[in-house]
Amino acid sequence: MTVLHGLLVDLVPSTAEFGEKMYQFWNNESRMWATMGDYGPISRAQIERIREERAQAVERGYTGVHFMMRARDGQIIGNIGLNWVDYYNRVAYLGSWIGEPDYWSGGHGTDALLLLVEYGLSWLDLRRLALSTMGPNVRAQRNVEKVGFRLEARERQATLVNGAWVDALTYGMLREEWRGRDVLVEELDLRARAEQRYGTGDE
Amino acid sequence: MIEGKLVDLVPFEDDFATYFEQWMNEESWFRARVWERREPHPEDAVKKFIEKMEKNEHGALIGFQTKDGDPIGGVIWDHEWTRVRKVDAILFVGDMRYEGTDEALDGLLMLLRYVFETRGVHRVDAAALAFDEVRIEFYHRAGFSHEGTLRQHVRWDGDYVDLELFGLLEDEWPGYEQITAQLDLQPSGIEPKPKPEKKDEKKNGSGQQPG
Repeated sequence: MTVLHGLLVDLVPSTAEFGEKMYQFWNNESRMWATMGDYGPISRAQIERIREERAQAVERGYTGVHFMMRARDGQIIGNIGLNWVDYYNRVAYLGSWIGEPDYWSGGHGTDALLLLVEYGLSWLDLRRLALSTMGPNVRAQRNVEKVGFRLEARERQATLVNGAWVDALTYGMLREEWRGRDVLVEELDLRARAEQRYGTGDE
Repeated sequence: MIEGKLVDLVPFEDDFATYFEQWMNEESWFRARVWERREPHPEDAVKKFIEKMEKNEHGALIGFQTKDGDPIGGVIWDHEWTRVRKVDAILFVGDMRYEGTDEALDGLLMLLRYVFETRGVHRVDAAALAFDEVRIEFYHRAGFSHEGTLRQHVRWDGDYVDLELFGLLEDEWPGYEQITAQLDLQPSGIEPKPKPEKKDEKKNGSGQQPG
């Protein structure tokens, strides 16, 4: 069950298995980065309730599209998706979360982002993609800038992280600015990074 | 009612609900609700919107009117984010004679007064279509900072236009008394409009089901 094939990750549908992973991700430090500071202990029952609410949201007309990220070694390492697809304005907001810190800085998030951007433009016919991150998340800022997103807004003190008010940064990319996945795979050396980590650079 | 310098905040009901059937179908509504699809709002949709806002636990629709009781439009605070004490602020001028007047500006200031001084928010978000100069001028006069531009973010009449983002923080809000004194708000002298005609109302036995 693979919807979109990448080099370091594949984007796959959510399965029952993800409930336990989600419990793990929501209870480790990754959550602080993914949610701009909103984290704390959370029980399995609460996770289950969130999953149920999300399933119901789809029935109520929620337009988001979400994938799990499966690394080349078969591990489910996080999720990525379009949190809000606005088909009228042809805009979507992206969200991404790698819950396994061992897979940070390895190119997995970048690989997934390329797949998702291509999906939003080529399959959903969107003409603009946007995403937000927080000031302290320099790694995310570098990643999205490399892929071609431009910083468009800095909302001051928009979120609270470990007792400090920090800015929220919003990035945007127009479809004519997208240079194509193939170009970026080359430029960002993703094939070599996949080979180095998994011994194969094939999709 | 919360009394301000030129306008008062009142529940969004009675004459406001009547006028809203017209207001929600006019240009100023779509300028205020920047990403809403351009489509007609029949009577039912207008009622549903009011009901939705009445049930909204993270926002509200509030009417504002002149000191003579002439309804001008509405203010909305919405998407209240409890953890970070943040809300979105929206001003719409229904009676377009008041567009750009100090009464309309006072509507925005009264909304800010309410969210900062009563609800205790830390930050207010506001947005304007790039060509909506009147609204942008209001944000500046109310003390907002321009924080960025979402490029070609909103579909508008065959084109895609930029969305300008603004923010105002609690420690930047000088307080309603101070800011209205600084801005020296002046009434426009616009004549109150005649009261709207009431819709058919049951004269007797309201609420009873027919025979």
